[in-house]
Amino acid sequence: MTDALLHVDNITVRFGGIVALDKVSLDVGRGSIQAVIGPNGAGKSTMLNVITGLYAVDGGAVSFEGERIDGRAPHTIGRLGIARTFQNTELFGEMSAIENVMVGLDRHHPYNLAIGMSHGPGYRRSEIAARREAGDLLALVGVADDAAVAAAALPFGKQRRLELARALATRPKLLLLDEPAAGLRAAEIESLNLILLNLRAEQGLTILLIDHVMALVMAISDRISVLNFGRKIAEGNPDTVRKSPEVIRAYLGEKGAHALGA
Amino acid sequence: MIPRLAIYVAGIAGFFIAPHYLAEYHLFQICLIAATALVVLGLVAVTGLAGQISLAQSAFVGLGGYGSAILATSWGVPLWASIPLTAFAVAFAGFVLGQLTLRISGHYLALATMAFTAIVQLAFIHSDPVTGGAAGMPVPPFRIFGLTLTTGRHLYYVILPATALLFLLVQNVMQSRFGRALTAIRQSETAAEAMGLNVLRYKAMAFAGSGFLGAVGGGLLASLSTYLDPAQFGITQSVYFLAVAVVGGMSSPFGAIIGSAMFILIPDLLQSFQSYLGLVFALLLLGFIVLRPNGLASVRLSRYLNLLSPRPAGGRR
Repeated sequence: MTDALLHVDNITVRFGGIVALDKVSLDVGRGSIQAVIGPNGAGKSTMLNVITGLYAVDGGAVSFEGERIDGRAPHTIGRLGIARTFQNTELFGEMSAIENVMVGLDRHHPYNLAIGMSHGPGYRRSEIAARREAGDLLALVGVADDAAVAAAALPFGKQRRLELARALATRPKLLLLDEPAAGLRAAEIESLNLILLNLRAEQGLTILLIDHVMALVMAISDRISVLNFGRKIAEGNPDTVRKSPEVIRAYLGEKGAHALGA
Repeated sequence: MIPRLAIYVAGIAGFFIAPHYLAEYHLFQICLIAATALVVLGLVAVTGLAGQISLAQSAFVGLGGYGSAILATSWGVPLWASIPLTAFAVAFAGFVLGQLTLRISGHYLALATMAFTAIVQLAFIHSDPVTGGAAGMPVPPFRIFGLTLTTGRHLYYVILPATALLFLLVQNVMQSRFGRALTAIRQSETAAEAMGLNVLRYKAMAFAGSGFLGAVGGGLLASLSTYLDPAQFGITQSVYFLAVAVVGGMSSPFGAIIGSAMFILIPDLLQSFQSYLGLVFALLLLGFIVLRPNGLASVRLSRYLNLLSPRPAGGRR
């Protein structure tokens, strides 16, 4: 698969005696929306943490746009164009919503320390440009009215969307979403689906997401990979995965699978 | 715009008028407050802004004082040049110390920076030929433009503008992408890294900044006190600076000024309680930690003080 944006090749991750990921491979094609699902403890979050450089691999390789990225520092991986959200949201709580987004944008509107100290030439232009772009991103995810509110003071659903805006602020090529729909109401999931589909359609963004919420996963994913106990047990389009006996067994157990006649 | 401009004008006018009405002793106190505030400003940058607990501040102050005095005594570099030169060197030392934050944080970082202070103090005591050892060394007078500045009344014209300038620079940095990055790192290193911020570099830069400010403050304090005694640069003094920062308020540069003023003026007001001064400070510190963790600068007055700080550019909301 040479056209894959992200290529996860046979990775193994161990924590002491536990094998969190066991020779898992995954290809994420450019412009696709791919989901990784699986029961709790299947290794889904470990996978994201490996891709973003928080965990080291014990075997295998991860490459992005043909370049090896495993073993690199998280911030350098971020700079290559991989952005992420976090399972329990990791916003900068005391900062306002718009400043949260600006942190991601600042790299694209740079000025040096001397200018920062003196507020000299270029300072104002960069700040205004970053603030305007941050405002646009807040509008995109529907939190524009809360731009000046401290992130920690926002309701949970809005925090989720703010985190999405902040990830987009780094201008990523690949967006990793860690359980973006967890704790959201049905209507909120609908609007999240629309936002994600629009991002793909308008900006050609590639998305890799992890979730339990089937209303999100089944509705927008082109391809789904299923993990169980650190191994990949199925892969394919939503319909194939839905009917896979292996997947039904992983989610419902032997008896449940038997009851469904799988 | 108008109130901020008015405050600047009033400040500058006050700066020139004050010496005509205040006695030498009060001007000396003002100098002391300003120089201490610079030292504490370094802590506001590294601990308040970047969230890294540092007990290295008195080591930076000592290095600043000794460095500029030694350059002046042994190499003939006048203090007006040796203080900034030393400050840059100490900033580099701070940057190197900041690399510690790669592996340690929180209490362990506090302990490591405390060890740094202890080592630096021992170095002062055991380098007799250059530092005068445990007996200390005199600081040569501050000479500039052929004038010799010895009293608080004279040094006032050096210390206050220097302090004002550095405060302005720090205030500006806080209102820039660098301030945002440090604030972000304080709140979530993981998220900051995911946003592409080089967390280690930023934290080391904050340490460098605190070293620079501490050293400039140390150089100015040395020229005020005219004598360097290694006993002044121990761990207790680091804790003292941290206490000043906590009482003043870590989240704002003005906290450094307010805290320093409190800690320098209170002993004056409570002269009859001299022997209980330690108790007064301890109670003050406890009271602030429990009741006002953001320090004096967070009291309503700060609203007016904040008029001084520029609004974020383009921020109209």
